[in-house]
Amino acid sequence: MIKIDSPDTLLANGLKDTWYAICPSNFIADKPVSLRRLGMKLVFWRDEAGKLYALEDHCPHRGAPLSRGILLGDRIACGYHGVQVRADGVVTNVPGSPGCSLEGKRAARSFHVVERNGAVFLYNSATNVDEAPDFTLPEELVSDEYAAFLCYTEWRGDYRYVIDNVMDPMHGTYLHKQSHSMAEGSSVADFGVRDTEHGFVFEKKGQRGVNFDWTEWANTGLHWLRLEIPYPSTGGPGGSFAIVGTYTPISENLAAVFHWRCRKVSGWQRHAWQFLYRNRLEARHWAVLEQDREVLEVMEPDANQRENLYQHDIGLVRLRRHLRNLATEQFEQLKGKTA
Amino acid sequence: MQQDRYLDPHQARRRTPTEWESLLGDSLERAFAAGKHELAPIVEYLNHAGPPAPNGVPWTEDLLQSELARLAETA
Repeated sequence: MIKIDSPDTLLANGLKDTWYAICPSNFIADKPVSLRRLGMKLVFWRDEAGKLYALEDHCPHRGAPLSRGILLGDRIACGYHGVQVRADGVVTNVPGSPGCSLEGKRAARSFHVVERNGAVFLYNSATNVDEAPDFTLPEELVSDEYAAFLCYTEWRGDYRYVIDNVMDPMHGTYLHKQSHSMAEGSSVADFGVRDTEHGFVFEKKGQRGVNFDWTEWANTGLHWLRLEIPYPSTGGPGGSFAIVGTYTPISENLAAVFHWRCRKVSGWQRHAWQFLYRNRLEARHWAVLEQDREVLEVMEPDANQRENLYQHDIGLVRLRRHLRNLATEQFEQLKGKTA
Repeated sequence: MQQDRYLDPHQARRRTPTEWESLLGDSLERAFAAGKHELAPIVEYLNHAGPPAPNGVPWTEDLLQSELARLAETA
């Protein structure tokens, strides 16, 4: 576990008391899975009914990875000395030394996890909590009127570069000029910022439904970004498709990247889109996403320390400042707690 | 060599598409590109341009709807 010694360390490893997407649901089946996320190594598993659990992948006895242990429903027996750790972090049994003071202690870090829209989400609480607040996902992932496919990838680099990239619609006109869906639109634009209930929209003035024209950032218990891109006519009826993205640090140099491609379609049109998506559109979306990955991965880690920003960058400047403020506030609170 | 991170271009489809499915995809995209956005003109286009429906029968609106529903789940 990383020691949080500054607002930047906090932000680099993910804000506390916030939900984060962790992995696609199917990553976790019948064995414990160890994943590095949010400055920690975490173990995820399911009980026989399929219910998900998460602990820090660290036995409170000597620190052996619990993921190497034996699953016992809602608890794991550490493979090293058999210490049983329940999903709420309580050590329920120390078989080698019955009655020792570790028994009954909430000595392990535990985390609340839920599955929605094909992904596992974890509440990155600063300390163990009995209940986690709920979070909401945007309409495209909640309403029956939309169909959505999750695309999960891991990209080298700081997750904040991925956020910057999505908060920068203008790169679509250049980086994605050669793509199936972003060949249209003016190569110059004026942008404006508009507040929403849970965040803000950064958008091109006087252009909508032409290209990648706007991005919305919101915090509804989970930070997410949303944008819309028109499909070419070959995509059939249903209009633009939407992308909902959320990004989670794996480590300093690796980001977990979640994109749901969503379309408001019903009846046969929904089935036609779902078929075409599986048959061919997914591969085209992948090619576009690779253009992003390739450019982000060749950026130097300190590229964002040597920038000359212009009007197109006010969206990412605003979001960076907002996230920095959240991290500073949280760092001060956490410091107060431990002092 | 084990890949050090997850990069899988095909996460939605359940299997490699069949040749017939890809021909149907081509034909549907051409119909859409030609502005055919209703079932009747798409059925007419498929019966003209192919591929034939399963078992070689002509496409009908009902058949196209049921095939698309099936493919949306199984392809």
